[in-house]
Amino acid sequence: MTGDEQKAQAVFQDTIREAASHSAEGEPPNDRLWFFREARWRCLAAGEHGMQAEDIEMEETEVAPEGPSQLGQLEAQQLAIWISGAPDPQRSALALFYLDEFSHREMSSLLELSVAELGGLISKGRRQFQTWLDAHIHF
Amino acid sequence: MRLLNVWRRQRALAQCAPFSEKPSQDRAMRMAAFRARKSKQSAEAFAHQQAFDRAVGELVQAIPVPKEAAEWFVNEKLVAAVKKRAWKKTARNPVIVAIGLAVAVILAISVHNFLEHLKEFPGSTSARKLLTVASATRMSQLEPVRTDAGDLSDLFFMKHHLEHYDVPLEFSRLHTIGYRVFDDEEGHPVAQIEVSEKRMHFFLFPAEKKKAPNDPDLKGWRYIDQEGWVGVVQQHQGVCFMAALRGRKKDLASYLSSD
Repeated sequence: MTGDEQKAQAVFQDTIREAASHSAEGEPPNDRLWFFREARWRCLAAGEHGMQAEDIEMEETEVAPEGPSQLGQLEAQQLAIWISGAPDPQRSALALFYLDEFSHREMSSLLELSVAELGGLISKGRRQFQTWLDAHIHF
Repeated sequence: MRLLNVWRRQRALAQCAPFSEKPSQDRAMRMAAFRARKSKQSAEAFAHQQAFDRAVGELVQAIPVPKEAAEWFVNEKLVAAVKKRAWKKTARNPVIVAIGLAVAVILAISVHNFLEHLKEFPGSTSARKLLTVASATRMSQLEPVRTDAGDLSDLFFMKHHLEHYDVPLEFSRLHTIGYRVFDDEEGHPVAQIEVSEKRMHFFLFPAEKKKAPNDPDLKGWRYIDQEGWVGVVQQHQGVCFMAALRGRKKDLASYLSSD
């Protein structure tokens, strides 16, 4: 979400501190989604500082059969940076989707999006990432 | 229009279909994934999408989680324990309310039937019919006779050959104003007497035949009521006697307790 390990650490610690504060007041977070909702806003706030990704409309290519092989040549850090450069809510949608921890209902709730919007953002992100892969990873 | 909406929703679901085989997917998602996998138009693209997503997912899993962060999730319990559904919320669920009402109605009917069954005794069916007869009887239908009710036993025996058609002692001193003998629906002879006191009616009719030899006889006085009429029945030597009047149980009880 931040594309920066230090920012991510700070967001994580702030989120945990907030949860601990709620717990100390006798009102602990009532579900696990609270952490991700909280962390998401903190990530977006943190992303507004420092270098910003250029806001450009990326080309889209249908996902190719060789996509998985191209991904096999990629470093996890590169993927993280690519996702963190996506505009929100697409960035949050991709981050949550590929964490593979949430149902589509939970993602819709977290991102306050309809299923159609969520599906559209993920699908668009997938095609844009394929374009990026085609440009950077030669197969 | 509706079909189009369903198709759009399924397509949207397929676009965010999970790429790992987790059993907790809901039905709509399973259906959307199934259709995408089976449809000729989308099967290939969906297979590529799933393979692509799996590869991205593997990369995400490879992102190292700092040790301190991992320890937090192992050691700390910051999320409140999931509360059990409050019983008040459960009780307000329309389905639960409907089931509760249905059970209550069934219970009420069962209790009512049970209580009604407690009132039943051998001859109660005939007695109930005779209460209806009492309410519909006109004086003109009766043969006038002025004597004590207890004295009519001889008349019933001598004139109508009805043995043991005796008025019990509790009611034998009351003065009659009329009587008649008729056959009921089953052809059994019924003697009816009307007395001046409270326009009371007496009925004498054959007791029900026992269904089993060991069935007990009707013992003591049993009350019965119907449509504003109340009766009290006793069985003696195979004949039932019923005193009936328009009123309440206590109107008849006074005759029984005075004895």
